[in-house]
Amino acid sequence: MIRFLTIMSSRWTRLVLVMLIVLSLQTTLFAELRPFGVAAQVVLLFVIVSGSINGVAIGSITGLIAGLMYDFILPTPVGLASLAMGLAGATAGLLLYFFHEPTWWMRLITVAIVSILGEIYFPLAQAIVGFDGWLQPRIFKVAIVVAACNLILAPLAIVVCRWTLAERKLSI
Amino acid sequence: MAVAQSTRRRAIILLVLTSIILITLDLQNSSATSGLRSVFGVIFRPVESTMRVVTRPISNAWFGIFNYNDVLDENERLREKVAQQEGATVAAAASVRLAQELLALNGLPTLAGINAVTAQVIGDSPTNFSQTIEINQGSESGIRVGMPVLNAAGLVGKITKVYGDRSVVMLITDPDFALSIKVVNSPRQTTTTTIAKGNAAVPSPVVPIEPDASLEGDASTTTTTTTTTTIAGFTPSVTTLPATPSGVSSITVPLASDLAIRETGVIEGRGPSRQPTVRFISNAVRFGDIQAGVPIVTAGGSRSLSPPDILVGTVSRVVERLGSAGPVLEIEPVADLTNLSFLRVLLYQPITEKATP
Repeated sequence: MIRFLTIMSSRWTRLVLVMLIVLSLQTTLFAELRPFGVAAQVVLLFVIVSGSINGVAIGSITGLIAGLMYDFILPTPVGLASLAMGLAGATAGLLLYFFHEPTWWMRLITVAIVSILGEIYFPLAQAIVGFDGWLQPRIFKVAIVVAACNLILAPLAIVVCRWTLAERKLSI
Repeated sequence: MAVAQSTRRRAIILLVLTSIILITLDLQNSSATSGLRSVFGVIFRPVESTMRVVTRPISNAWFGIFNYNDVLDENERLREKVAQQEGATVAAAASVRLAQELLALNGLPTLAGINAVTAQVIGDSPTNFSQTIEINQGSESGIRVGMPVLNAAGLVGKITKVYGDRSVVMLITDPDFALSIKVVNSPRQTTTTTIAKGNAAVPSPVVPIEPDASLEGDASTTTTTTTTTTIAGFTPSVTTLPATPSGVSSITVPLASDLAIRETGVIEGRGPSRQPTVRFISNAVRFGDIQAGVPIVTAGGSRSLSPPDILVGTVSRVVERLGSAGPVLEIEPVADLTNLSFLRVLLYQPITEKATP
């Protein structure tokens, strides 16, 4: 029983539950509101923020889990978004590798840069497995719009991500 | 600390390997990955439906702020268009009915004989790298993977994933979309000549000739009578009646050069910002030059996922290639893929796809 409660209260269980809500926001609200014809990527934002707060290891695990959940609703092969998001989380985690105590603006710059990279990773991964056709000049427009949207939503995502991935001891 | 780092490293390796294995399985069309998708769908759909209800006011407010003027302009433009097309619709409907009757009389397949399911679009693709939409009808309505999806204008895409009560439609602009099509080229301008044995080299314009006229001259002279029927919106067909003595039944032979010439190719999507292209068009002289505006329809056939003669689009640009390679055609789809609401799924499966009992 205690083991079950420990698992249920772990940050990874919380991550899966929060990701269900983030994913549902992605498939409903953010799939409809398309500034300049581009869908904002809140799942990617969440992964990048988790990497920039918790480092490479947590960022990549968050990316792999969130990406795997995203994969189950995308028509692309399962596992592709997982790898792309895992890489994006790890890239964002490099911020802590170079700066142990990054300031808020460093974090925002990281969100913007890794959003651009993360949005390019996915069509690259698609091309590697043979789904080419998405590596077009359009991806730069997509990446820039996604980065801008992520910058606007980053403060909220940081709060949610901190709460989700905080380590708490179970007290019974 | 070191233990935690080692555990995380192992978790990363495990997740990466899992992803690679899943990609491999999914590319092999494994039932395990589709089973996982279905299980996740069962958990995720209620959360998504709740979120859709919660976020509806936000998206409505967004569209109200940013799209209001566009909708007003579009409304005005559409009213004008409807007024223009009201008259043409009646004539077109009569012509379509006539064509279907003729096809049915000759035992040829028509779209009227295929059952369809009407569906509503309930979601767009959440990612920027797939051109798909979700509709509110699934396997419970008889929908299967590969079935063609249309709107009132023409072909929109094909079904790529089917769940119990919903399906995913891949649009014709998706780079993974491919379908065999026919290019219906206009007949070339030809002149029918009346050739007499004694003066074969001199061409003359087409003149309807009295039945008795041919009999008055030299007995070996060959003459033709040409009747051209013109119906708005249709390619005129030509019926040539060989002059025959009265009492002998004549044979109707259409002039091959004056019929609409069809050539098959494959349409492929190229993403939302670029028009789909048609490749593998033969460079035959007989087919002639393809002009912009030529219609593109589905080819049909025993292996095609779509029945024949569904309108796909019109040629917007012809890119000539060197050598014997045929031209590449850029296609303007007739359906407005950015603004889809109600669609029709044709419950059509080619013979090769049907399960044998």
